Amino acid sequence: MPSYTLDKLPIGATATIVDVQGDAQLQQRILEMGVLPGIQVEVVRFAPLGDPIEIKVMGYNLSLRKAEAMHVSVETPA
Amino acid sequence: MSEASHPREDHHTVALMGNPNTGKSSLFSALTGTRQKVANFPGVTVDAKIGTARFENSEVTVIDLPGTYSLAARSPDERVATDALLGRIKGTPKPDGVIIVLDASSLDRNAYIATQVLEFGLPAVVALSMVDVAEDRGIKVDVDKLSEALGVPVVPVNAPNGTGIKELKETLHRSLHHPGKLLELEYPEDFRRGVDTLYDYLCDLSVQLGYKPARPEALRLLVDGAGPFFEECEEVGGAEFTGKFFEIRERAAAGRSLSMVEAQTRYGAIGRWMQEVKQAETREGRTKTDRIDAVLTHKVWGSLVFVVLMALIFQSIYAWSGPFMDLIDEGFGSLGDWVGGMMSDGALKSLVTDGVIGGVGGVIIFLPQILILFLFIAILEDLGYMARAAFLMDKVMSRFGLSGRSFIPLLSGFACAIPAIMGARVVEDRNTRLTTMFLAPFMSCTARLPVYVLFIAAFVPEQTYLGFIELQGLVLLAMYCVGALVAIPTALVLKKGILKSKVTPFLLELPSYKRPRVKAVARTLFEKGGSFVKRAGTIILAVTILVWAAGYFPQSDDIDAKYDSQIEAAEAGYNEAITAFDPESEEDSLIAEFKAIDDAHTDRLAEFEETVEDEDTLETEILASDKQRMAEMKALAIKSDKHFDAMNNYTAWVRLEETRSEIENDRAGAHLENSYLGRVGKFIEPAVEPLGWDWRIGMAAIASFPAREVIVATLGTIFNLGEEEDEESEDLRTIVRNAERPDGSKLFSLATALSIMVFFALCAQCAATLAVMRREMNSWKWPIASFVYMTGLAYVCALITYQVASALGA
Repeated sequence: MPSYTLDKLPIGATATIVDVQGDAQLQQRILEMGVLPGIQVEVVRFAPLGDPIEIKVMGYNLSLRKAEAMHVSVETPA
Repeated sequence: MSEASHPREDHHTVALMGNPNTGKSSLFSALTGTRQKVANFPGVTVDAKIGTARFENSEVTVIDLPGTYSLAARSPDERVATDALLGRIKGTPKPDGVIIVLDASSLDRNAYIATQVLEFGLPAVVALSMVDVAEDRGIKVDVDKLSEALGVPVVPVNAPNGTGIKELKETLHRSLHHPGKLLELEYPEDFRRGVDTLYDYLCDLSVQLGYKPARPEALRLLVDGAGPFFEECEEVGGAEFTGKFFEIRERAAAGRSLSMVEAQTRYGAIGRWMQEVKQAETREGRTKTDRIDAVLTHKVWGSLVFVVLMALIFQSIYAWSGPFMDLIDEGFGSLGDWVGGMMSDGALKSLVTDGVIGGVGGVIIFLPQILILFLFIAILEDLGYMARAAFLMDKVMSRFGLSGRSFIPLLSGFACAIPAIMGARVVEDRNTRLTTMFLAPFMSCTARLPVYVLFIAAFVPEQTYLGFIELQGLVLLAMYCVGALVAIPTALVLKKGILKSKVTPFLLELPSYKRPRVKAVARTLFEKGGSFVKRAGTIILAVTILVWAAGYFPQSDDIDAKYDSQIEAAEAGYNEAITAFDPESEEDSLIAEFKAIDDAHTDRLAEFEETVEDEDTLETEILASDKQRMAEMKALAIKSDKHFDAMNNYTAWVRLEETRSEIENDRAGAHLENSYLGRVGKFIEPAVEPLGWDWRIGMAAIASFPAREVIVATLGTIFNLGEEEDEESEDLRTIVRNAERPDGSKLFSLATALSIMVFFALCAQCAATLAVMRREMNSWKWPIASFVYMTGLAYVCALITYQVASALGA
């Protein structure tokens, strides 16, 4: 299964989160929002200026910067 | 182990908690109605509302805590929720129970904070909101199973239409009479042991801390390893605490990330519950929100809608508030005249009309702009668009260390800094919010416009380049850019330096779109307007009165005597000149007719000023009108038997009136020069000289501390024109153009004018802004910093402007 970081996924892609890294506070914030290993994400769109990105996770829409999404490792079904 | 609290019998307090965008505020309103007030928490920039909910035969105090996704406290603002739950906030009672609001349409994420709150073991009730939204999406929530999983009663509510409120109250009432149930999750063994060890250690520290910590606090401390509570423990426990803490922490983590362990334990439990609780039909196709977002966050259409919307907001604060502001201005003006007319001249009259009525007017005048901005913010926030606007603008704003949410407040700063600072509350991150508030006064607000208009019209030549670019317009544009240009490095310095936070995550929920509720919008407007008038108004009023007093006292009898004798001399001269009858008696109808002819001439002149653009045509028209007046007067004089006497007397009378008003203006100018304000102006003259100013400009700058636009009226007074002058006035323009220094050289040059404009573009001459800053930031530290920084910057930039401009010969 190919693995990426979340910011590299194209629009419409779905993937499973495998790990969340980053500085302690950022990691905690990301995890608390429901972005944690084992959970499915879908990339909904990029903002008109290319950043931030919008994802669907746990049934709601979340926006995060690419610099933050970079810390989320995902796997796409091959 | 269970330390569930036993509620008192008499009066209960409950805390209302939950994620943002769950309908928590409307539930709070449904529970408490209009019986609510804003509770100000000392030292933090958040405040909660406190209200009273009436039950059949008792009353319950409800504290509406700020919506959060977690109890993890990274800043003092976020610590508020935990402190409030534990009853550690001064002046706020300890809650006997909790209402947790959970949004049924995104129940998993909402349940996260519920698992944290329920570990405190307080009696709790879950209010399940947005059930209809969930059902639209094909999600069915089994209320009984959810209640079983969380161990507390669950009541579906729909606050806007009132369903479930009665049941919620009844359930809450019952729960408050039983001890709360402690939620126990299955943490990994190392983690659980870590919490226990740390908890025991914290209990040992309770004497030094001054309170007994709660077990969930030990958990938070263990996982977060930072934040206000950690700092507190570090302070009382010293190096021994730090050493022991990190030892416990390392053992508890056993090589893993504690945040990860916590999140996986909580979401793991939630995931298992949800298999029973939630039945989701997998509906293909998009939700209503997805369809709206496809347009509103679209590259082209989304940007277009955003630009149009922002233009509309800016336009409405900038221009549409104008008529209301004029109305308030005129209203307070006539009120002052009316009250003044009933009082005899003197300090009291001046205090009432110029100080109090002028000051109150100076507060109320901001209401139109505040209300218009918040009308938009409330509607857009309620609708769910604010999050989208932040999503669209984040990339631009993040370059300056700000967030997408800072955009609307800063944009409205171009109209007025007051609503902008109040609007900065939409920025979630504390440091970004403080930076946004600090930057708002740099945006060139409408109060600076009179200053620009006066000096540009007086000193910048009317030149046109390429047929359509006007030099005056270019200078005006430059003035608007000065503030914004200075704001950028300021933002970077602030965010990289003083307000540095390791990360400013932009994790923003894009909530589903909802129809804005009229009642909620109206309530926001009422609260914002009221809080401005009450909390900032008093400071503004006090400053206005202070500056009034400085400009009024001491009243010198010598000055009065000097001008009284001048008036007497003028009257004596008039009495000698007149013959036959007294025009002032107005008994003679002839005078009325002369006056009518004169007035008609004045009206014509005013009309020409407005309608005729071309200077030459204007001159011709004025001459023609004057000729007409003279002819009419002559005809009238010939018709009457006392003809030429009447005409002479009338002219003498007109001259007397003119002399009188000139003397009165001179008197006002002399008083101002002699006043404390004038003396301060003279005192600071050496400091403002390098800016090309003299004491009069320095004094006018100080006098404009309550509000920038006051400088125009102050200049009017000090140059003996009377304070009724405004920036459009030809007289004031001519006067400033011709004003001289004692040595006979011209006071103002283009360089001086530019230096004044740059100073006013950057200075913090607005008491209202500083008052609102204090109110929003809950400390004097920031407004003082803002004042010192802006004034210093304004001085330096004005200095550079003057020196460079005069070196270039301007």
